[in-house]
Amino acid sequence: MRHYELLIILKPTLTEEEVKAKVDFVKEVLEKNQAQIASLQDLGMRKLGYEIDKHQRGHYFVFYYKAPPSSIAEIERIMRITEEILRFLTVKYENKKEIKQWEILSTKGKIEPQKPEKIEQKEEKETQTEGEKAQG
Amino acid sequence: MSNKRRYTKKYCKYCEAKITMIDYKDLSLLKHTLSERYKIMPRRLTGNCKKHQEMVEKAIKRARQAAFIPYIVDRKKVIDNPFKALEE
Repeated sequence: MRHYELLIILKPTLTEEEVKAKVDFVKEVLEKNQAQIASLQDLGMRKLGYEIDKHQRGHYFVFYYKAPPSSIAEIERIMRITEEILRFLTVKYENKKEIKQWEILSTKGKIEPQKPEKIEQKEEKETQTEGEKAQG
Repeated sequence: MSNKRRYTKKYCKYCEAKITMIDYKDLSLLKHTLSERYKIMPRRLTGNCKKHQEMVEKAIKRARQAAFIPYIVDRKKVIDNPFKALEE
């Protein structure tokens, strides 16, 4: 069993029920292929960086799961067939560091709020140190 | 050689923040290494260390694939986007 992450972008034209149905469908596909889903995150409707099939927006979902490597090909094949999925991305987490990251990401509801704050704090420090240097 | 360097020394922002892994979904981390036109900035301009530069490169390429950030920004796109987004 290896650690994986699957990101899918659904068409923005779907209704809520259809979105739910599609997410359940993907879940089923994963479970059928001996995957254990650790978590499912809804990143919501986002503007796409570029047009995909003339769509400007997309509904993002991220699955974190463990699965045997042989089942990935089958999962990706089904993702490709499904029309409602604009784009998908599978990421493998292999070495110890990456697996740790996977665990952090899969247990947290959202990753985004924490890290940016850290950087902002650092930037403040930078400006301070630079100022001190200038004074010195 | 005789002139001393006037500018402050560059350093790796990711090392400073003690980041072990860069997630492609976390755009605030990628921002430092992206230019205005969403190109990957070289190490000599950002001051990133090699380890982090490699991680960021990978994350940026994944983010592009997942349409979080554009591959290119050109004139056509700048004119196109705002209007269509409002109509939807």
